[in-house]
Amino acid sequence: MLTATGRDRPGIVAAVTRVLLDLGVNLEDAEMAILRGHFAIVLILSAPDELGEAQLREELQAVGRELPLEAVTLSAVEQLAGGSPEPTHAISVYGADHPGIVHGVAEALARHEVNVVDLSTRVVGDDPIYVMLLDVALPPSLDNAALDELLARVGQELGVDVSARVLDRDVL
Amino acid sequence: MAAREVLRYPHPSLKQRCEPIAPGDELDRVSRDLLDTMRSFRGCVGLAAPQIDELVRVIVVDVSEHKKATTSHGLLVLANPVVVETSGDELGREGCLSIPDLTANVRRATWTRVEAVLPAGETVTIESDGFEARALLHELDHLDGILFLDRIASRADLFARKRYA
Repeated sequence: MLTATGRDRPGIVAAVTRVLLDLGVNLEDAEMAILRGHFAIVLILSAPDELGEAQLREELQAVGRELPLEAVTLSAVEQLAGGSPEPTHAISVYGADHPGIVHGVAEALARHEVNVVDLSTRVVGDDPIYVMLLDVALPPSLDNAALDELLARVGQELGVDVSARVLDRDVL
Repeated sequence: MAAREVLRYPHPSLKQRCEPIAPGDELDRVSRDLLDTMRSFRGCVGLAAPQIDELVRVIVVDVSEHKKATTSHGLLVLANPVVVETSGDELGREGCLSIPDLTANVRRATWTRVEAVLPAGETVTIESDGFEARALLHELDHLDGILFLDRIASRADLFARKRYA
């Protein structure tokens, strides 16, 4: 698994993938994000057997210094069966900004074995409002009504508005 | 008759369920204020009573000047509107004067039939599609304290924006 972070500018993905291509490394899944001008990318790579980890690391560090990037990390990870759980619900959380919103919601979800599959937050405005969007996977033990009840409770505790809807699959 | 202040989230009035209203002086006053307030924002195509802190079921919609509109009934001032039927769905970009710093892609029906009462007391049925249907459904949501943030399907659908108001 490769992660890279730095100040965003054109050419980061091109430079990093150039190194990978030259070394015969295959890209599996990748996600990137830009937060307030800072860039982050996470990639799962599959490297050919003959390529040493040290060489890959060294070449990535070199391109990281050139660009420059703030950090490049490389770690060997196990191939996991199953991959990510399929999200079942989308949740919106929003309210006047104050510390503890993400933690309060995440902890309530964790307590009920709800898996957060995707999370993104934004703070906007002069009187800042905080918006958090989550995709979650519900365990079989929790139904829609139980989720709504759980979210209503946590919303009230945190003084934020929370709503959830079932993620529908488009069937073609 | 006056343009009123538009409440911004997190004002609690924006999360309330609004009360039905009968034709009469109060409906006339709220309708006129809603209309004047909508007209005071260039490009504004709709407004709901709770946005001006009137917790009654009244909306105004006018998409006639909007380039995205395929159907337009001109100015609509509707009391106690109810969605009777919808069909289709598509993603479309929405903003809201009450949440001026965000826009989002929101999935809504492409066609709807709405029943409502006009300020004069007559009951009407309106069938609309496309952008006007979206505007009607967005404003109707306000009457139940539902904001477009409650209808975002995915995190990729939320966008920060420069203020337009």
